[in-house]
Amino acid sequence: MHIAMHCTSRSLLAGAFRLAVQPHPSTLPPPFLLPAFTTIQRATFSSSPSPQARKDGNPNRGISPLRRKVTTRFAKRVKKDIANIPQPVLDPRLRSAVEVDEDHGLWEFFGQEKNSLATPVEISAHGRGWTVAELRRKDWDDLWRLWWVCLKDRNRLATFEAEKERIGNLYGEEESKKRRRELNVTLGGIKHVLTERWYAWENARYAAMEDPEVNLYADPDKGEQALIRPQEEKKVESIQDTLPPPPADEKLGSEVRA
Amino acid sequence: MALPFKVGKKELFLPNFIITFLRNQTLPANYARFEVPLWFSKLDLRDYLYHAYNVRIFSVTSYVKQQRARFGAPGGEENQTPMMRKWHRPRAKKFMTVQLERPFVWPEEPEDLTAWDKETVEAQRGHQEAERDKMMPTADTLVNEDRRKSMKEQARALLEGREKWEPRGREKNLTSMMARR
Repeated sequence: MHIAMHCTSRSLLAGAFRLAVQPHPSTLPPPFLLPAFTTIQRATFSSSPSPQARKDGNPNRGISPLRRKVTTRFAKRVKKDIANIPQPVLDPRLRSAVEVDEDHGLWEFFGQEKNSLATPVEISAHGRGWTVAELRRKDWDDLWRLWWVCLKDRNRLATFEAEKERIGNLYGEEESKKRRRELNVTLGGIKHVLTERWYAWENARYAAMEDPEVNLYADPDKGEQALIRPQEEKKVESIQDTLPPPPADEKLGSEVRA
Repeated sequence: MALPFKVGKKELFLPNFIITFLRNQTLPANYARFEVPLWFSKLDLRDYLYHAYNVRIFSVTSYVKQQRARFGAPGGEENQTPMMRKWHRPRAKKFMTVQLERPFVWPEEPEDLTAWDKETVEAQRGHQEAERDKMMPTADTLVNEDRRKSMKEQARALLEGREKWEPRGREKNLTSMMARR
């Protein structure tokens, strides 16, 4: 088959010459193709794959893996393991329970008791939100911590609400609304205080820009002073300088004593 | 320990949104489902869960659920006013399902729901629905089985002579008027 499918120029040329003997002018190649037949093409062309590529010592080359004989060690092991493959448990009641870690982060979406729902009594066990006056006395770290505590509590409330809605026909929506209102009071208060601080800082910055005694662009690493004091005050630095000069007679006396 | 993913570089100090953790009813234990704000991206949820809850995840799938057109004026559930010939479509909801590094199983549903007064709420809702049906245009098709039963018993008692019919109320006045005439 390999040889029969050869289609060299030589065979074409032979065919052309053979045809030329026969009196059928329509089967002759047109004259402008004649230069192509004069040159002899050495390389063969074939669409069938070269037999060289298959010489890799694999007798199963080309045979479907479903039908071929098990020869390799890996394939033998796979065949052995298939017999011991674990079967899926289709009945969910027979499945072994999944162990959840005690320190799993998703427990923070639930209360301390790790219940799927909080009762209305538990939800309404809270005080009022923080007032702005109380929050003003707190530093950034405290405010930030409080913000996240409120945020997580709000997530927890939303989780309980969704679960309650899923079960349906349960009281407790009003309690969680009230609690969320108090949380929002605290969150709003924190934003209020931080905005106040930002304005205070901004006003101070503007004041410093207009103050001739303050150099905002001073680099303390290079030893530059941010506060430039006027000349008169610069003299008054130590107590020694503030003391009046000693009287002349005392100076004389000291010399006498010496 | 190296993270299995790249964490975003933008620092967000005071985020202000709500993430709802939803019960996983059908998926295996290493999947968790959340309701997130509509503008949330998968990377947002991944970083939020890692930084805020120390939960590591492998993958996220997201789903936007279009809401049904509702009767009444637009607005939240709180300021819902019934308005004739007014329809609105509530904002769509976004859900994300994550594949967890450590499996998590939801705690079991409480068996005793007396703390939430489930029976009272159900009774109240049933009563409200019955009252609503009485106001509907199809109210004349409703059959009051109790009334039908009691009428049957009264009729049988009258026929058997166990009770004697006596005019009462307006009927009594009518009969007295007729007698005077």
